[in-house]
Amino acid sequence: MSKQQAAIVSAGFCEHASKRSDVNMAEMANEAIQDCLNNANIEMDAVDAIVMGNMPAFEGANLPELWMTDWVGARDKPLIRVTTGGTTGGSVAIAGYYHVAAGLPGIETVLAVAFEQQSCGNTSVGLSSVALGEISIVNALGLPAESAMRIFGAGAAIGIASYQAINYMKRSGCTEEDLARVVVQNRRNAAKNWWTHLKMPDYTIEQVMATPYVSYPLRFGMVTPASDGACAVLFTREEIAKDTVDIPAYVNGVSSVANETGIVGYAAAGAGQLDPCEQLGAVESAKLAYSQAGISFPEKEIDYAEVYSPFPNQELMWLERLGLFKENTAHLRYRDGTTAPNGELPVNCSGGVNSTNAIGASGLERVAEAALQIMGKAENQVPKTVHTSIGHGWGGCINFVTLTVLSDQPRRK
Amino acid sequence: MVKLEYLKKEYEKTRQMPGKWPLSSYRYKFNITHFQPFLKALKEKRLIGLKCRSCNTVSFPPKLVCGKCLVQPDQWVALRDTGMVATFTANYMKDETTGELQSFPVIAIQQDGADTTFLTQLNPAVKFEDVYVGMPVKVKWKNQPEGNLGDIEYYDVIDDATKKMKLQNE
Ligand SMILES: [Zn+2]
Repeated sequence: MSKQQAAIVSAGFCEHASKRSDVNMAEMANEAIQDCLNNANIEMDAVDAIVMGNMPAFEGANLPELWMTDWVGARDKPLIRVTTGGTTGGSVAIAGYYHVAAGLPGIETVLAVAFEQQSCGNTSVGLSSVALGEISIVNALGLPAESAMRIFGAGAAIGIASYQAINYMKRSGCTEEDLARVVVQNRRNAAKNWWTHLKMPDYTIEQVMATPYVSYPLRFGMVTPASDGACAVLFTREEIAKDTVDIPAYVNGVSSVANETGIVGYAAAGAGQLDPCEQLGAVESAKLAYSQAGISFPEKEIDYAEVYSPFPNQELMWLERLGLFKENTAHLRYRDGTTAPNGELPVNCSGGVNSTNAIGASGLERVAEAALQIMGKAENQVPKTVHTSIGHGWGGCINFVTLTVLSDQPRRK
Repeated sequence: MVKLEYLKKEYEKTRQMPGKWPLSSYRYKFNITHFQPFLKALKEKRLIGLKCRSCNTVSFPPKLVCGKCLVQPDQWVALRDTGMVATFTANYMKDETTGELQSFPVIAIQQDGADTTFLTQLNPAVKFEDVYVGMPVKVKWKNQPEGNLGDIEYYDVIDDATKKMKLQNE
C-alpha cells in the first residue's frame, strides 16, 4: 500500500431547478452519475467505491445512503456518506480524493456524488434543527421567546452573511453597487451553463438595486436560490487518468479547517471572532492546501477560482482570505474586469453558488467546475489556459472551510 | 446500477407524500452551572464575564469551556455596562395588526472588558440605517430585574466620543 497521485477525470450534473418534481432524490443523484460516467465513457463496473453526501435535515429524509444504495451504483461496493453542513460537497470531494490517494488494494477509481433536493423539505425547518437547541437555551435562560426568535431569526445563513457584509463594507469601502456587480457577473455566467438554476443573461446592476432588502445590506436580487440538484465527480489513479482523458485534473492539495462557531456560539454565548469577515479558517485552509500543492505565490500561480459564495460579499471576502487578491481590494478587481471569464483571474464561470445552490452539492460543484476548466471541458470555458485552479467550500455556522487545489501537472515529488 | 431511462417512460411526475418532523419532541441538553453567578449578578444590575486563566480571554456571556485552551474558565471579572457594536443587521417582521412591514436592528456587541460578542437587541426606536460598526452602546436595564437574560431590556445608543475628537482635529 503506497500513496497514490489522484486525479479527476470526469464530472457530471443533473439539471438544477427550484422544484425537480419529475424525479425524487435517488433519481436525481442517478442523473448526475449517468452524466459523469457518460462524459468519460466509463461504465459503473469500473468504479471501485462510492462516496456520497447531502444534508438530510433539508429533505427531512434521514440516512439516504441506506435506501439509495442501488441508485448510486453501490451494491456490493464500499460506500460511505459524509455530511458537514454547507461544506458537505467539499468534504465529499476530499473523501473521494483520500480513497484513491490512500492506495488501498482494489480501490483505484472512486465516484463522489453530492446532492440536495430542497423542494422535498423546508430549509428553515432544516436550519432550525441546527439553531433550535441554541434558541431553547437562551429561552430557558430567561430571554422571552419572541425576542429570542427576533434576534436569532436575523441569523440563519443569510443573517450571518449580512454580518459579514457589514464588516466587509466597513473594512474595504465596498459599496452596495459593488455587491450587485458581483451578482450580475455570476448570473450572466450561469446563463452559459446548461445545468444551472438562475440563468439571467441580461441582468443589470440597476435591476439588483431596485429589489428590496432581505436582510440589510443584502437585497432580494442578490440572494442565492434554493435549488434541487446533484453533481458527480470521478477520481482515479494517475496511470488510469492518463488513459482516460487528454488532460486529467490532478488533485495536488486538499484541506478542511474548522474555526470557532461564528457569532452565536454554543449556548448563544457569543464568539471570540469579533469580525465575522476575518475568517481565519479560510486563511489556515489556504496555507495548508497551497503548501501541499507547492504553491508559494497564490495570486500569481492560480489561474482560476471557484469559491463558495451564496452571497456576493462572501465572494469578495474569500478571494482575499484565500490569498488571490490583496486585503480589501477584491471589489476593485470586479470593477476592472479581472474576474470576468476573459479576465486575468476568472472567478465562478459556472455562475457560482449565488446562481445555483443545491446545498449539499454546491461544494462538489466548485471542485467539478475547477477541474473541468483545467480539462478544457467546461461549458463556459475561459479563453486562457488554466494550469492551476481551486475549488472552495464554506459552511457550518460560518466556521467550516474546505479547499481543493487542482493542476494539469501531478504534484512535484 | 439502476438506469433511469427505462423508468422515466413510466411516469412524468414523482408522487408526493406528506410527512412531519416535530423538532420540539427532541430534548436539547446543556449545562447551566457556569451561568448561575452571571444570572445572580444580572438581578443586581451588574455585568460579569468569565476569564480563562490560560489565555486571559474574557467571555461575555460566560462560556463553560475555553475552546482555545480546553480548560474551564473560573475567574469572574466585573464589566462596565458599556460596549461597542461589533456587527449588525436588520430584521424585518410584519406587524400582525396592521400588516405593515417593520424593520429593526439586531446587533452583536462587544462588552467593554470582554473579548467575545453577544447577540442582542438595540433600542427599537433606533433605525438600522443609523447603526455602524464601532458604535458605542450602553445597557438599558429592566425596571425589576429577575436574574435572567431578559433583564437586559436592550442596548441604548450613547455619545460617540471619537466623533467629537475627529471634529476637534479638523
Ligand atoms: Zn483559554
